[in-house]
Amino acid sequence: MQDVLYFLQQLINGLTIGSAYALIAIGYTMVYGIIGMINFAHGEIYMIGAYTALITITGLASLGVAWLPLVLLVALICAMLVSSSMGWAVERVAYRPVRGRHRLIPLISAIGMSIFLQNYVHLAQGSRNIGFPALIEGGFQFGAADSFQTSISYMQITIFITTLICMTVLSLFISRSRIGRACRAVSQDLGMANLLGIDTNRIISATFVIGAALAAVAGLLLGMYYGSIDPLFGFIAGLKAFTAAVLGGIGSIPGAMLGGLILGVSESMTSGYLSGEYKDVVSFGLLILILLFKPTGLLGKPEVEKI
Amino acid sequence: MRTPVKKIVTAVGASVALMAAGHASAEIKIGIAGPMTGPVAQYGDMQFSGARMAIERINSNGGVMGEMLEAVEVDDVCDPKQAVTVANRLVNEGVRFVIGHLCSSSTQPASDIYEDEGILMITPASTSPDITERGYELVFRTIGLDSMQGPVAARHLISLKPERVAIVHDKQQYGEGIASAVRDTLQQAGVEVAMFEGITAGDKDFSSLITKMKQADVDYIYYGGYHPELGLILRQARQAELDAVFMGPEGVGNKDINTIAGDAAEGLLVTLPPSFDEKEENQALVQAFADKGEDPSGPFVLTSYAAVQLVADGIEQADSTDPFEVAAALRSGSFETPIGTVQYDSKGDMQSFEFVVYEWHSDGSKTPVN
Repeated sequence: MQDVLYFLQQLINGLTIGSAYALIAIGYTMVYGIIGMINFAHGEIYMIGAYTALITITGLASLGVAWLPLVLLVALICAMLVSSSMGWAVERVAYRPVRGRHRLIPLISAIGMSIFLQNYVHLAQGSRNIGFPALIEGGFQFGAADSFQTSISYMQITIFITTLICMTVLSLFISRSRIGRACRAVSQDLGMANLLGIDTNRIISATFVIGAALAAVAGLLLGMYYGSIDPLFGFIAGLKAFTAAVLGGIGSIPGAMLGGLILGVSESMTSGYLSGEYKDVVSFGLLILILLFKPTGLLGKPEVEKI
Repeated sequence: MRTPVKKIVTAVGASVALMAAGHASAEIKIGIAGPMTGPVAQYGDMQFSGARMAIERINSNGGVMGEMLEAVEVDDVCDPKQAVTVANRLVNEGVRFVIGHLCSSSTQPASDIYEDEGILMITPASTSPDITERGYELVFRTIGLDSMQGPVAARHLISLKPERVAIVHDKQQYGEGIASAVRDTLQQAGVEVAMFEGITAGDKDFSSLITKMKQADVDYIYYGGYHPELGLILRQARQAELDAVFMGPEGVGNKDINTIAGDAAEGLLVTLPPSFDEKEENQALVQAFADKGEDPSGPFVLTSYAAVQLVADGIEQADSTDPFEVAAALRSGSFETPIGTVQYDSKGDMQSFEFVVYEWHSDGSKTPVN
């Protein structure tokens, strides 16, 4: 019984972190799906989202606003707004001028953008770890009180529910709305979509904006869940989310969700049953195996050479 | 094509050498190398504050052998790669005495460069025994070793009669070194070490680790590493209702752990150098810090002050600014500093250095235990 509870607890830990990876991974996969490039500045967008949320929460607290749902909502909206405009600006500054050139050029300009944003936050906010207030505390406990108990915190439940809502809204948006349909058209054939009257520049901007908004949601959630943020924490999260996107099949939105969850669970199971030292070895080892045996990822479509 | 490049390189090299030589005769340059930015910049603040104060006070008393000390400050971000870069920069600047580095993993590669280039180095903070194990002539420290600190922590844990202890470290030279020292002492005393596990520095999610410690039913947890990770572990452990007492080395003992962990930092046990700022004979110095609006209570402020003073005293004693002669003087003499009387053994370690166990509080204060 205790073993089952222990397994459940590790599963919950893994799914929590995995849902957040999935939210960030969406940004990578959408941009890749549409313009075939990897947005290496995406981790920094997520980090900026977390900082904006923290600044908003602190600001509201100093104004005396204490009603939790309002604080969270305002923080979420501010973070999404700032991150989205960052996403938009990154596309305008680092991608649009070099789009259509050799593949390495946008890659390098994205890495440059990532270093710039990291150092900008270093300068503006300092390089230290900043504590994030624990706004949502408490949780449910399962199991006998005298032995190991499985617990789900309200924070973890918040992460699951928010991720679920975001994913549903995104799927509906992509399948039903005009912009969503245009997104799919552009991802199938950018040149043809352009000929058919779709403003492809706008659609590409929209992709960056949507990805950035979801990253900001993840920034707020993970900032609260972990308890501290620093200017470098977008880098590692970005790397993990990128792995999740490739694992699930880069370019595929359900793939990013699946990849995130698999990565999160495999990390927590490795820490739980082997050792935390092997966590990254297992998750990146998994990536290598998938790339060797199924290079398009779990849910990716085999690439058709566009002529 | 080949000749012009060669010429330019030679010209640049010669001018750099001339500049360095020109400067060295004017005053004595003291390099201060530590983290000004990055996750452990708090400790760098302590180091720079202590060293600057020492330089200021020595200069206002007429300098060393009639020459002024001049600080050359560099930022190593507590990153081994960066430490090598800034060490080379100090070499190029013509510095012959270095106070630093702070993190053991930075001090180790940088000390190779200093020893090769004939630069005397005193680290005010690195506690890894390996640093002075290599028979280097020019490497000293003004702090104790993990092999002294670890057993102090372990003996305290043993006195609390733990049932099962978990030991976690950050896989870095300092963290893993001290964690191993604690484990060895505990095992010799027959205490059950239920877990000995590494985490990755910079990680933020410790939920799996905490679940594991909860299942192992440990009552004490020793963490070898720095405060950003332990702060998060404390906070996440509190949220997961893990009921155990945490203990850590001096790398976790600063007020920033409170901004991360909040109330969860209450009751944390920390081994630290004794509070030199509370000693009777240091009160004038403490007042000088207070006048500048600085806080001398951090563990590395007065060790850095002492390091600068030792360089100055060593130069006076040797009656020379040659680092080798100064090193010989440091080894043979006995020096009065704010951290007590310093006498070196042949390796460059202090012959005695005491660590004290403190209990940390959620407001950032600390009280000595027993």
